[in-house]
Amino acid sequence: MTSADVLVDARDAARTYGRGPTAVVAVHGATFQVRAGDRTAVVGPSGSGKSTLLHLLAGLERPSGGRVSWPGLDTPSAESAPIHQIGVVFQGPSLIPALDVVENTALPLVLAGVPEGQAQRRAQASLHDLGIAGLARRLPEELSGGQAQRVAIARVLTQSPRLVLADEPSGHLDRATADHVIDVLISAVDMLGAALVVTTHDHAVARRLAIRREMHEGRLIAPHGTQGPQS
Amino acid sequence: MIITWAAGLIRRRSGRLAATALGIALAVALAAALGSFLTASKSTMTARAARSVAVDWQVEVQAGTDPATVLRSVRTSPGVRTALPVGFARTSGFQARAGGSVQSTGPGTALGMPDGYSSAFPQEIRQLTGTPAGVELAQQTAANLHAAPGDTVTITLPGAPETRVKVDGVVDLPQADSLFQKVGAPPQSQPTAPPDNVILLPAAAFSRLTGAAGATAVTTQIHVARNARLPSDPAAAYTAVTGAAHNLEVRSAGGALVGDNIGAALGAAREDALYAQILFLFLGAPGVTLAALLTAAVAGSGADRRRGEQALLRTRGLAPRKVGTLAVIEALLIGTAGGLLGLGLAAVAGRAAFGTASFGATATSAALWSGTAFALGLAVALLVVLVPAIRDLRAATVAQARRSVGRRDRSPLWMRYGLDIVMLAGSLLVFRASSGNNYALVLAPEGVASISVSYWAFLGPGLLWLGSALVLWRLTAFALRHGRGLLTRLARPLTGTLAGTAAAGINRRRRPLARSVVLFALALSFAASTATFNATYRQQAEADAQLTNGADVTVTEPPGAATGPEGASALAAVSGVHHVEPIQHRFAYVGSDLQDLYGVRPTSVGSVTALQDAYFAGDTAHDLMAALKARPDSLLVSAETVRDFQLAPGDLINLRLPYARTGALRTVPFHFAGVVKEFPTAPKDSFLVANAAYVAKSTGSAAVGAFLVDTGGTHQKQVGDRLRSQLGTTATVTDITRTRNAVGSSLTSVDLSGLTRIELFFAVLLAAGAGGIVLVLGLAERRRTFAITTVLGAGRRQVRGLMLSEAAVTAAGGLLGGALIGWALSQMLVKVLTGVFDPPPSAVAVPWAYLALTGGVALAAIASAALGSARSFSRPAVEELREL
Ligand SMILES: Nc1ncnc2c1ncn2[C@@H]1O[C@H](COP(=O)(O)OP(=O)(O)OP(=O)(O)O)[C@@H](O)[C@H]1O
Ligand SMILES: [Mg+2]
Repeated sequence: MTSADVLVDARDAARTYGRGPTAVVAVHGATFQVRAGDRTAVVGPSGSGKSTLLHLLAGLERPSGGRVSWPGLDTPSAESAPIHQIGVVFQGPSLIPALDVVENTALPLVLAGVPEGQAQRRAQASLHDLGIAGLARRLPEELSGGQAQRVAIARVLTQSPRLVLADEPSGHLDRATADHVIDVLISAVDMLGAALVVTTHDHAVARRLAIRREMHEGRLIAPHGTQGPQS
Repeated sequence: MIITWAAGLIRRRSGRLAATALGIALAVALAAALGSFLTASKSTMTARAARSVAVDWQVEVQAGTDPATVLRSVRTSPGVRTALPVGFARTSGFQARAGGSVQSTGPGTALGMPDGYSSAFPQEIRQLTGTPAGVELAQQTAANLHAAPGDTVTITLPGAPETRVKVDGVVDLPQADSLFQKVGAPPQSQPTAPPDNVILLPAAAFSRLTGAAGATAVTTQIHVARNARLPSDPAAAYTAVTGAAHNLEVRSAGGALVGDNIGAALGAAREDALYAQILFLFLGAPGVTLAALLTAAVAGSGADRRRGEQALLRTRGLAPRKVGTLAVIEALLIGTAGGLLGLGLAAVAGRAAFGTASFGATATSAALWSGTAFALGLAVALLVVLVPAIRDLRAATVAQARRSVGRRDRSPLWMRYGLDIVMLAGSLLVFRASSGNNYALVLAPEGVASISVSYWAFLGPGLLWLGSALVLWRLTAFALRHGRGLLTRLARPLTGTLAGTAAAGINRRRRPLARSVVLFALALSFAASTATFNATYRQQAEADAQLTNGADVTVTEPPGAATGPEGASALAAVSGVHHVEPIQHRFAYVGSDLQDLYGVRPTSVGSVTALQDAYFAGDTAHDLMAALKARPDSLLVSAETVRDFQLAPGDLINLRLPYARTGALRTVPFHFAGVVKEFPTAPKDSFLVANAAYVAKSTGSAAVGAFLVDTGGTHQKQVGDRLRSQLGTTATVTDITRTRNAVGSSLTSVDLSGLTRIELFFAVLLAAGAGGIVLVLGLAERRRTFAITTVLGAGRRQVRGLMLSEAAVTAAGGLLGGALIGWALSQMLVKVLTGVFDPPPSAVAVPWAYLALTGGVALAAIASAALGSARSFSRPAVEELREL
């Protein structure tokens, strides 16, 4: 295995909110690597720092200690994150209310400079792949929670990233819908041939992924269970 | 619980609370400022009216009543400071010998003046030459008799021997009209002019003169100066004074009639006060409405968040009543803060515009207005915070509450029923009815104590303003809905490859966008129409002063003087004089009718005085002057004369004019060329305008009646003073600044400029607020959207482009709509308020500089709002996403 296989590499990455006595340490020095093809679950109770960790990995937040790098991805500079090569499914609603499903799905491409027509064709294709082409012209307020989450996944798929980070993708959903969303997510990542990190408080969801890491009060606990396919 | 909530509110939503309070502050400040200004100007009107009359009452003793009894009864009436008897006797003529010749006059009046009259009524008599309180000749009489102090004048009374008196002085009687009024007669049967020949005699000399004549030839008037405190409102003062006058008449049991000069002056003032009140409403009400709408928009932009909070409180088990109480607290908090701020703002505005925080109003009325304005602010706060809160409480779930984004949105109720069209149609109907010929905005029937305003005339402009705003709303929504292709193309320069996405977003957000476009347009049109109205008013006030005075400075030759146009060169040499224009003044018989005739030089008269098209009928000023030049025997006559003589263009009119050398009347042929309604220095009734060269040729004299002096519009007073000292008593010099104060109704003199300054100041604030604050809050409300865009990879420039494209829609729609509505509204306002203008304007004056300033300030507010919002993402975007 070469270092180029390591898509994201966090070393002692920490994140503290606030200062002084009221400071909250959301993540204590976490060391964590994701390699191409990894399927990783980060499991932990609410408030344990999962989202914060994910944001650090995505480069959306800067670590207040340690460092995060993306050796396997093309970064415009050593400091900034390769934002267009990482797809993030956010924990809360993340569709833009004034744009319909296709426009939302195409947005990351458009922002990256792809012409709108082409971006929308690719968005349509992703929606089709996830079996939600029928929702294309709906507005976010006309979608159910599960549908919205699938659109968010389609948006990531359209981006064709090499790393997909999903924050509680099945958080508020019932069992059956949650299972379906996870299915969709895994098959999408398979299609892309990308690496996947999913955070969840639900062990049933975590069991569906090869690698599992637990998080507790901001600390990543030493890995246990299956260590994933070793080469 | 409640304190915790209020503290939390202040801490977390300080921005929006402050913006809402600011909107309320604007409404409160505007109401307080205008209200105090109104009361202050009303009391100024009362004071001016009271000061303007020389003699408050002229009580005429009726035949058969003993003057001494009436005098006693007047002196014991409440509110009377001084009462002095004045004798009036009609004379059949005066004679004087001057030089070698004898001059005599027609019938005139001799007055018997008691001791101390001129100190009791200082404004009635102005000493020109000689010693006061003796035998005094009126100026015109002295001129007619060629008499001066020291000369002897013979007075002839009907049926009595001639009496000779020695003249002690010459006086001017500035208020001759009211002095010689027919006491008790209605205004329409008053004599049109005071007697030409008047002599004032000391009481003793007067009784010697009249002793021989029959008693019927003499009447006695008791002149009264009052000292009763007048209510500051002109209408109340009018009622008080006329009531006292009636009371006096009743007590004298028909023995006395009161010539109520002060009552008449107050009557005119109360009419003006009512006009001021109308202006206050016409111009102020939309401003307050606008500030309230702005507040509602600001409060409404936080509605989603508040709805969320309310839902949360309810799911935590808080009873709806409690939730309501919390909304009341929020409203009171905003209302109080906004009210206090507004009163402070009003005080600052008062200081800036008038030098006193209370706008010159008394402490009580200022306090009263402040209180009213404060209450208004609270009401607005309750309306904009509480009403939506209650509506949401009624809705069963949060989701049921209305959304700002929607595709299959049902049009609002008003749009489906075409309320906008109905309002516009209504406005036109009211306007048609209220701009008809027999319509008067203020009705002040003579002899009736109450005065009425047809307030429904307000409906015209009011409906136009709101109706066209709704039409703009409809059009904006329509354009944003169907003009996506165009929007994409327009957004391209700002957003580049994102143009289609930007257009899609704008298309779906057409409702809130249309609302801000309309709000912005309303604010701009308010500013535009107010400013245009004020500019037009100022233009006409200036035209009125010019019309009366003739030009910046006017030098009027005494009657019979023979100075020719060459006299102009001596005047032109005075420093500050730009140009001098001679105007002839003669009297001419049209049939048996004696009219003033003005001889002008058609090519140059327009250079010293503004000849407005409104002064003429049927043709422009320029064309008519050209006609006078092309055909020197052309004649402009009044519409009345055209009617009386059934004139058609080109008709021959024979005037009889005195020929210079012989003084005999001579027939001079003229041709009817056009209708003149008003002309500088000319009287309000019928007169004639002709070519000076032709008049000079056909009368054998080029004698000038007046020289119109152009000072370039500045230093009129100083130039007037210089001319006055150079000319001495050989001619009368009047300057426009004095005339402006003298001719103007009390409305003109109170001057709209105070009102203007307040309104224009607030209009700019409102326009900037409507453009900027609403946009900022709208963008802030969607911080989450921009945060998502950022985490999906949008650069700063892209986010800024998205924000700017929305700003551009608001700005473009608002400017275009505001300009159109403002234009239409100005036209209608000027027409509806025609009664305020004297003379009525032929065209509105557009204050381009102010409009450019307002537009510029508003655009700057919008641009900085958009750019500021783009920069103000103080927190990383992901943190924004954590908030639900
Ligand atoms: N902006 C912030 N300021 C202060 N504290 C924060 C902030 N964001 C997160 N935290 C705190 O950091 C800790 C970790 O938060 P995080 O959202 O990462 O937890 P999580 O494991 O994702 O929880 P959940 O399962 O509920 O989503 C929590 O205690 C949270 O209160
Ligand atoms: Mg989380």
